[in-house]
Amino acid sequence: MIDFELTPTDQEILKLTHDQAEIGRRYASYYDKHENELPPEQFPEAAKLSNPVRLAEEVVNGSSGPRILHSLVMLETFWGGLALHRSKWGLGNTVLKTVATPEQIDKWKNHTISIAITEPGAGSDPANIRTTATFDRETGEWILNGEKIFISQAQSADAAMVFSRFIAPDGSRGLTTFLVEKDTLGFTVGPQLKKLGIRSHDTCNLLFENCRIPEFNHIKGDFKSTMSVFNDSRPMVGAMALGVARAALDFTREKLAERDIAISYRGGVRSRSAVADRFLRLEAAYEAALLTVLRSKWLEQQNVPPKVEASIAKAAGGKAARKITQGCIDLLGPAALSEDHPLDRFFRDGRIFDIYEGAGEIQRLIIARSILGYTNKDLR
Amino acid sequence: MISFELTDEQKLAQSMVQELAASLRPAARGADDREEIPSSILDEIWSTGIVQSQADADASSATLNALLFEELAVADAAFAIAVAAPTGFVSAIATQGSPAQKNNLLPLFATDKYRCAGVAIMEPDFAFDVSAVRTAAVKTRDGYRLSGIKGPIPLAGQCSHFLVVAQCDGALEAFVVDRELKGVSIGGKRPNIGLRALETAAVSFENVELPAGARLGESTGCDVQRIVDSGRTALAAIMTGISRAVMEFVIPYTKERVVHGAALAQKQVIAFRLADMRIETDAMRWMTWKAASILEKDGDATRQAQLAYTYAAEQAMWIADEGVQMLGGHGYLRDNPVEMWYRDARSVSVFEGAVGV
Repeated sequence: MIDFELTPTDQEILKLTHDQAEIGRRYASYYDKHENELPPEQFPEAAKLSNPVRLAEEVVNGSSGPRILHSLVMLETFWGGLALHRSKWGLGNTVLKTVATPEQIDKWKNHTISIAITEPGAGSDPANIRTTATFDRETGEWILNGEKIFISQAQSADAAMVFSRFIAPDGSRGLTTFLVEKDTLGFTVGPQLKKLGIRSHDTCNLLFENCRIPEFNHIKGDFKSTMSVFNDSRPMVGAMALGVARAALDFTREKLAERDIAISYRGGVRSRSAVADRFLRLEAAYEAALLTVLRSKWLEQQNVPPKVEASIAKAAGGKAARKITQGCIDLLGPAALSEDHPLDRFFRDGRIFDIYEGAGEIQRLIIARSILGYTNKDLR
Repeated sequence: MISFELTDEQKLAQSMVQELAASLRPAARGADDREEIPSSILDEIWSTGIVQSQADADASSATLNALLFEELAVADAAFAIAVAAPTGFVSAIATQGSPAQKNNLLPLFATDKYRCAGVAIMEPDFAFDVSAVRTAAVKTRDGYRLSGIKGPIPLAGQCSHFLVVAQCDGALEAFVVDRELKGVSIGGKRPNIGLRALETAAVSFENVELPAGARLGESTGCDVQRIVDSGRTALAAIMTGISRAVMEFVIPYTKERVVHGAALAQKQVIAFRLADMRIETDAMRWMTWKAASILEKDGDATRQAQLAYTYAAEQAMWIADEGVQMLGGHGYLRDNPVEMWYRDARSVSVFEGAVGV
């Protein structure tokens, strides 16, 4: 039956997440100003607190389901800006889980594995990557050369799942993935990148110079299986975007209320001020995007793999975060520009979600191909 | 518990109404041109049982109504409003009426033939707002004296009753007004920009003497905001339907039309707008469902209904606008339906308080 009410279990877990997000917000502010420092694996407060992500995934009865609840937990966490428990899971782990052999999975199951796809000349067009592995017949190793940029968890991960071209001994070519461990000779992690926002987010470039990789580390994720990891993560990015968006909305509502500008939902457009009307429209954009995230997550729970819905959620969340964080500053005026309060960070952080893990344009390509019945050759 | 699951009954009703809507679709243009809905079509949409089911608390479902209004609006927004208007009236009586009001009024709608009654909130005034109506009811010895002008009211000429929202003792109240009462006069049909088939008219109430029992809920009064919330939810459902109609029409068109050697739809500037149409239509629908599901549980739906309505109004107008643009000159001709949806989208999006789920 159609319903949008949170269950008592949902509420309980989200309350716990919110309390942690309040603490996380203080750290988020610190790491925003100290971008070269990596947040610890676990903050001191976290030792006594449950990891809400784990609770969401583990709860058996009484919740709206693990996928839905997980997305709402992420939203709440991003409301704060920094998780007290750092995730040990990277998108490289998802590739490992999906395509690796049992022996490979066993070897790296406790590693955090980042995913390395983007290059200076290939971002939204990953088929254009130049990183190449050639096979050395004498040693039975692969020799990897190339550069990867904008890599999340670059410094904190134990290994990188590197998307690469290969030239096999028989001369055949293609795209594949290699797991490259941190201490491999010829593998260098660059310094933290200087970003507009999400400055606590570990992001570096990676360099591979004649990096020798044992055949056992060849994970054999092809183009399709590597890209499919984003099906899970896209609605999640939508949820994260909405966490930042709601932080901006909450802050703005509070400040407007302090100046006696209350938002009423009762009357029509001619009954409210321009400021109230614009706030209400930003809030509507938030609700709209949130429901597309929940829709996608609900489909996942029904075992209907969402494809177009995952892209809808990502595109809607990313767009809403841009519009809302920009709009809130406009509504509050010059006082909103100050770094004395977190709105400045929400504005900068909120801009990433329509860019990473498939820019809004890529999501629209996916959606358009789906509704038009086009292949990626019909619509480029 | 968060769920998008339709019940089996909802799925069945939805597919039946989908079929009906497909059969009615070809009649939409003619109805717009002739500025009336044929009585045979009114009877067909009546046969969906949406209005009749409002009288039965167990059978009535705001969520189901929202689903069905979307489907009907894919065929034609005026057809959808022709059902949503009496639904608004009957559901207000069923949920907020006194026992006597329910006994007197609800059986009138248990018919096989189309029957109309309207919620009269809108007023023909450029400064009109649902929260600031000018029509007023003054207490008299025996009841109330009602004065004001309401409109546009869908199918006003066919309405047996109006539920008139008026200022009374500093608050908004609703009054059941029989069209036969002295002082009630129904103006001539006044076609609007869109929804031309709806035969809307203004209705004036000139010192209409009402018995005390005319006040909705009688001695306890009613919650007018709930009527507004229900109306906004219904409009959001109808705007979702119009948006879908536009999207489903322009997808094959833009695939077929070749410009500079490639199908229009193969150009990103068009394809991305189509993608946005899909994103927004989905979002509008889920927002409508959320508001409707709260109404169905008798919860406070004011915020959700406002957000669903405001968002749908913005997006439906954008979608209809882009629909016209994608067809270029053809879109501007009345040979194609997009110009009608363009007019309808503008009309529905400001049509507050004429309908209900």
